[in-house]
Amino acid sequence: MEAMESMERRDAIDCVPGYGEKRRDGGDGGDGGRRLKLAVDWKSPAVDRRVKEFSAMGYDSMTNVSIPTAASKAKEIGKKKRVNRTAKLKQSKLDVRREQWLSQVKNKGCKEEINGANGVKMHSPDVHERNDDRPLMKLEINPVGEETEGITNHYSDSDSPSNSPISHTSSVFGSNRSRSPFTSSSSSSSGGCCSGSMAEEDDGDNGCLDDWEAIADALAADDLKNDNHESPEPPQLNSLPPPEPEPVNVTMVGQDGCCARAWRPDDIFRPQSLPNLLKQNSFPMNSNQLYGFGAIEFGFKKVTSPPSTCPICCEDLDLTDTSFLPCPCGYRLCLFCHKRILEDDGRCPGCRKEYDHHGQGNASLKLGRSCSMIPRH
Amino acid sequence: MVDFGRVQKELQECNKDINVSGISVNPKSDNLTSLIGTIPGPIGTPYEGGTFKIDIDLPDGYPFEPPRMKFATKVWHPNISSQSGAICLDILKDQWSPALTLKVALLSIQALLSAPQPNDPQDAVVAQQYLKDYQTFASTAHYWTESFAKTSSLGIEEKVQKLVEMGFPEGLVRSTLEVVDGDENLALEKLCSG
Repeated sequence: MEAMESMERRDAIDCVPGYGEKRRDGGDGGDGGRRLKLAVDWKSPAVDRRVKEFSAMGYDSMTNVSIPTAASKAKEIGKKKRVNRTAKLKQSKLDVRREQWLSQVKNKGCKEEINGANGVKMHSPDVHERNDDRPLMKLEINPVGEETEGITNHYSDSDSPSNSPISHTSSVFGSNRSRSPFTSSSSSSSGGCCSGSMAEEDDGDNGCLDDWEAIADALAADDLKNDNHESPEPPQLNSLPPPEPEPVNVTMVGQDGCCARAWRPDDIFRPQSLPNLLKQNSFPMNSNQLYGFGAIEFGFKKVTSPPSTCPICCEDLDLTDTSFLPCPCGYRLCLFCHKRILEDDGRCPGCRKEYDHHGQGNASLKLGRSCSMIPRH
Repeated sequence: MVDFGRVQKELQECNKDINVSGISVNPKSDNLTSLIGTIPGPIGTPYEGGTFKIDIDLPDGYPFEPPRMKFATKVWHPNISSQSGAICLDILKDQWSPALTLKVALLSIQALLSAPQPNDPQDAVVAQQYLKDYQTFASTAHYWTESFAKTSSLGIEEKVQKLVEMGFPEGLVRSTLEVVDGDENLALEKLCSG
């Protein structure tokens, strides 16, 4: 079992970088340089810092464990991103999205310890950014990622029983690659907000941890895609916070589960331009399921709304007619019928009282009195 | 000019729940100004079991003016003329409102059948009888219902056959029925009187 897995890994190590090289050399040369630069960028001083932190967290002895952690994290994050994405697609606001990404990163930075997930979060927008050459991007990430696995294997895992997670990762990876056509169509709407952070990471030779993040990125992206294709139901419906009952608010929960925070209305890091979800989702809630407030509101509206046609002549009421309230009894009719009635007996059809005794007549009467009062005082 | 759009709609609305209310309005002619409405006699009254026809004429000012309604079927009722079928009902006169409809008016007439107002009579003789001798009034009203409000269920041929069976010659029966506008009882009276 172990032997097979290690063989699998060796295969991956042997063949994948070569594949990546071939891709780098051939193909469209214009993008090739860029991609090469990106591959170098993964190895950054920031990674060193992260490695140190990882060792501080006790990961140094079992470095590979962080791979499945990162992978599962990535999956989790991928789901969250997907849930996030569905809501975002509804909103259809690029700017808002970009801002949210940024503030997410910021939020995490100040709220949480830096761990693998942080890196994933940091880099995922970048992955989304290149939606055009996305498969190429993946191809480039893949070799580096598997190289990482190979390295970890050689270092610590050749004799340890805990390498099965890695093989799991690699198999997931393989399936990812096989599903890569999905990714080509993904996330055309993400803004490139983190490209700057990529440029900052100039050089460095220790890219392992960052490569995990790359893997996690790819996984997240793929999970995002595949989940979108497979299961339309958000998986975290149960963890809804009590004050937000709409299912659409799962988006908030998705972020909540990741960094224990959600975009609450009073959130400091909540982008100002984010629309009020409660307000905005009131429409789909009403259209999908009528319960609670929605039903009451809906019914109430239905009851109190003015008639759409004039009850006298059965013609449609226009905007002027619907705002025309000639009698305090509330009986509405079109202006034509009202005029016709005024020419005739001048009584409200609803209450049979004469229009002149209230409404406009009353107002003019009051006006007349007050005018006549002025000279006396 | 009558608002024919509204009249059309009223006819549709009224005939939609004819099975519930029993009230129907149908045009007599094509121009929708003269209609015929039918109401069932209210249960628990001397008019029970009868079907009463009401002639409806729509004035040019309808719905701002009330429709002109009168009973086409003979009725024994304090507020309905036993001669002309004229109806004494305020909503058909000064209390008419454009918000009311033909169906509402017919419903009001049906309510009038079950709740006569002898102190504001249309037919003084009936009102006097109603006040002084209710039993006679009730039996007369029932007789009139049986005689006039149920004949419509019989076709003209059945009436002819019925009278011929009584021994009258068929030709005379037919001409007499035509004279009395298909009224079986009036025809019998005429035939008997000679």
